[in-house]
Amino acid sequence: MIRKRIFRSFVFLMIGFSLVACDKTPPNGNNNNNSKAPVTGTLEVEFRIPGSFLPPNRVLRADLSVAVDAEHLYKGHFFYVANVYNNKLMYQITLKPGNYYYQAGIVCIAGGDSCSAAGFPGGQFGVKWAIGTAQVNANEITHVVPQFTQ
Amino acid sequence: MFFGSDNLFLRVFLVPFEWNCEEIKLVDMANGLIRNYLYKGIIILGTTCMVLSSCSTEIDINAPNQNVPIVYCILNDADSVQYVRLQKTYLVDQAAISTPPEADSLYFPGEIQISLERWENGRPVQTVQFEPTYDVPKDSGFFPVEKHMVYKAHVKILPMKTYYLYVYIKDKEEVLFAETTTLGHMTVTDPLDLKQRKIALNIGENYICRWQPVENAGIYQIGIRLNYLETVDGVTVAKSLDMPQSFTNPVTNIDYLTRVISGSRFIHIISEQLKPIPGVVREVQNLDFYFITGGKEIKYYIESTAPSEGALIEKPVYSNFNNGLGLFSSSARADIKGLYLANTTLDSIAYSQLTNNLGFLDHNGDRDSSNICSNQ
Repeated sequence: MIRKRIFRSFVFLMIGFSLVACDKTPPNGNNNNNSKAPVTGTLEVEFRIPGSFLPPNRVLRADLSVAVDAEHLYKGHFFYVANVYNNKLMYQITLKPGNYYYQAGIVCIAGGDSCSAAGFPGGQFGVKWAIGTAQVNANEITHVVPQFTQ
Repeated sequence: MFFGSDNLFLRVFLVPFEWNCEEIKLVDMANGLIRNYLYKGIIILGTTCMVLSSCSTEIDINAPNQNVPIVYCILNDADSVQYVRLQKTYLVDQAAISTPPEADSLYFPGEIQISLERWENGRPVQTVQFEPTYDVPKDSGFFPVEKHMVYKAHVKILPMKTYYLYVYIKDKEEVLFAETTTLGHMTVTDPLDLKQRKIALNIGENYICRWQPVENAGIYQIGIRLNYLETVDGVTVAKSLDMPQSFTNPVTNIDYLTRVISGSRFIHIISEQLKPIPGVVREVQNLDFYFITGGKEIKYYIESTAPSEGALIEKPVYSNFNNGLGLFSSSARADIKGLYLANTTLDSIAYSQLTNNLGFLDHNGDRDSSNICSNQ
């Protein structure tokens, strides 16, 4: 009887160990419960190139940058600069909720005085800028379309 | 006593028919003695040879060197000068593995004639002769550097044409030849050679390169080069850091090919390749992109020399030369140089955890991180 009890106790003990070993829940690694992902929103920029009398592919996207306020934007202290492409229209930027300033630039590469006639300062390789603000809210997509002067 | 007589010795082997029985018996006795001596001699000689040869533990596993010609020629359509490298195989024993061979053991002596032919409509329309030159510096390494001979010819390579390369080696009385078809033009879409468009390569921010497929291409590779100034003790030196990307295979029926350049890898390579130097000041200048494509022969050659992944340990090295070994193919390239990096990338290089000890200046041209904006 005693042997049976000892054997049963041993079996129960081993089952207990095996259940503990099967627990895949990671232990709390002293992160003070800060493992939550930061709350973010999305700024979606529809980077359209305005139509003009210039031939196609003579006005290209040049820049898309985001700053925390107007002063940083003016000084060129951006916290995000996007890689812009000819074939990409929509640019999505994940940000903390808040108000942001963005700038978008288009460059004219046409020859002659076409760029000057189209209002690009300095003629060929001149850049037009569009600046705006956007309010980014948590778990939302804020859609903006930069507007360039003609 | 029989060996002392020349006549009898001859008679042993040329027995005349007119001899009598006494003479024949005498000759038989002589033959028996000679056979006896010969058998003994053969047994002693054989045993001695076996004993002596069995004492040697060295086995010569190398076959005699046959001086096989090896030719490399990659036609470059972006250059007006083409080069051919001609060498020969050599044999080096284990004891000399750390000692570079003599330069003479790599080159064929005597007359060498190398010519390149462009064919159109089944006949040659242009022939160019190559001349030896020593003006290409060779990197240091196992092979001799004091005499690095290649052959060069001034010729502009046309796209989508068939070329033949002939190599005549008088010393071996052999003609090697190979054929290739040159590639089409390479057109890069991204990045454009546009200084107003900044390149952002940060942790989490990648750059996507795009280019149009090249006709006859077998393989593509992109490389980027970070150009920077390094100032140590008041002395400024222009330096660069090359970051070749992995190969891209051509895909049919597609308008554009793409290769993503990882921003995280970009920062990691800078931290791995550059060493912190006390007092050093580094300033990023710009970034160059290199788009290189090679013919199918280059693809096969690279695949044949790549490490084996399967059970087949040793793969045969690809060669498209007749009567020799080597590679004759063509390449095309497009370089986009001097693109500027985005301010955020400059700040990342200056202050990221991986690279903040390398002395890079931020986008303001200083090391003051208080005026750097972050959304973190």
